[in-house]
Amino acid sequence: MVDIRRISTNRWWHKKKNWGVFIFIFFLFVVRISKGSLYKDFYYLISRPFWPGQFQREVLSKSVEQEFLIRLQQLEKDNKRLREILSLKRLSDSERISASVISRKTGSFWKQIILNKGSQDGVEVGSFVVGPGGLLGRIINTSLFTSSVQLLTSPESKVGVWVERIQMHGLLVGLGNNYPKAIFYNKNIDIKVGDLVLSSPASTLLPPNIPIGIIQSIEGELKGTKTASVLLLAKPQAIDWVQIVKVEL
Amino acid sequence: MKQYIRRKISLISFLFIPIVYFWDPNWLAFLGVQPYWPLFWLLPWSMIYGSIDGFIIGLSLGLILDSISPDSSFSQIPGLVLCGIWFGKLNISSNVFVGHFRYGLFCTIASFLCGSLYFFQILIKYFSDQSIFMYLPSIKNIFAQVFITGLLAPLLCSSLFRLFQKSKKG
Repeated sequence: MVDIRRISTNRWWHKKKNWGVFIFIFFLFVVRISKGSLYKDFYYLISRPFWPGQFQREVLSKSVEQEFLIRLQQLEKDNKRLREILSLKRLSDSERISASVISRKTGSFWKQIILNKGSQDGVEVGSFVVGPGGLLGRIINTSLFTSSVQLLTSPESKVGVWVERIQMHGLLVGLGNNYPKAIFYNKNIDIKVGDLVLSSPASTLLPPNIPIGIIQSIEGELKGTKTASVLLLAKPQAIDWVQIVKVEL
Repeated sequence: MKQYIRRKISLISFLFIPIVYFWDPNWLAFLGVQPYWPLFWLLPWSMIYGSIDGFIIGLSLGLILDSISPDSSFSQIPGLVLCGIWFGKLNISSNVFVGHFRYGLFCTIASFLCGSLYFFQILIKYFSDQSIFMYLPSIKNIFAQVFITGLLAPLLCSSLFRLFQKSKKG
């Protein structure tokens, strides 16, 4: 009788420590599977009183008007070309969601911002994000209340761009600093400092002709390519309000 | 309840590391780079609880931080695991003044190790493409992070160390 009682009290589930370990492993599992969604939603709730105010919204709307004008001009030119036939991506007509930046990681290797709009507001993975001035990045992850944006400056970011003046396509690659590099696969092209860089009409990820940045410096030729440093028009380290725009096939 | 929280404060504070990681205030940045927050927690924890616990908690921290970071191709686990094991082997200095400097030095080396390991992963993935352009910005990122982490470590690590030691004694 005594032996049976000793065995039964020594079962693993009778030890509090084992349950602690089990709960901890379960917690890690949940965080991993949900890609940190719980944490992001929790951060959304506790950071709510500190979200940016209305002033930034006004600044944003003025900048967005300017951006619209630039894009309108570009679109008109584009329409004269074979846009209607190619039509790789187009903007949806009304789907613009305003969101504020609640977390910003723009230093070091991690280049992401977290916005206060998530899947419950209709944000979808793959939508692109514009700030005052131009393109900031793409939504790569959403939770119920938040969405994560991979910035153009991230080492994992690669976006098709073109310089409208000379109508040459290239690839914008993030390097982990604030100045992504535009790589043009033709060493004889005539790019100049100050040229406007836009999203490429041939891009399969983004709609065409969204302003991205201007050529800041040209860095010579390497293996048949020409590279240039790009100064982004939208500054992720300073922006508090952004707009999320859906992309339609 | 209060007693329970005091005893478990080290584990409870562990859950808040990702929140600090999200917060990442700009005013604490050096050359636009913020300190590597997980090290401030990992160093005192591993020094008190040893290498094996340091390994486990380094792995757990890496898993959580990888989950909330945008770059899914690269991992912070190798750096944090190595640091957890290394921190666990360090002796606790009896001299408070020397102890403060030791925290700064260890966090500086660890931050360099974590940053370099992360950078090597990026280099390996993009070796044939545009890796040549990444050297300068990445080296700047690593050293700025090393500096700011080393600067804040004596302050934060010694506070956390005292807190964890108290909670261990109960």
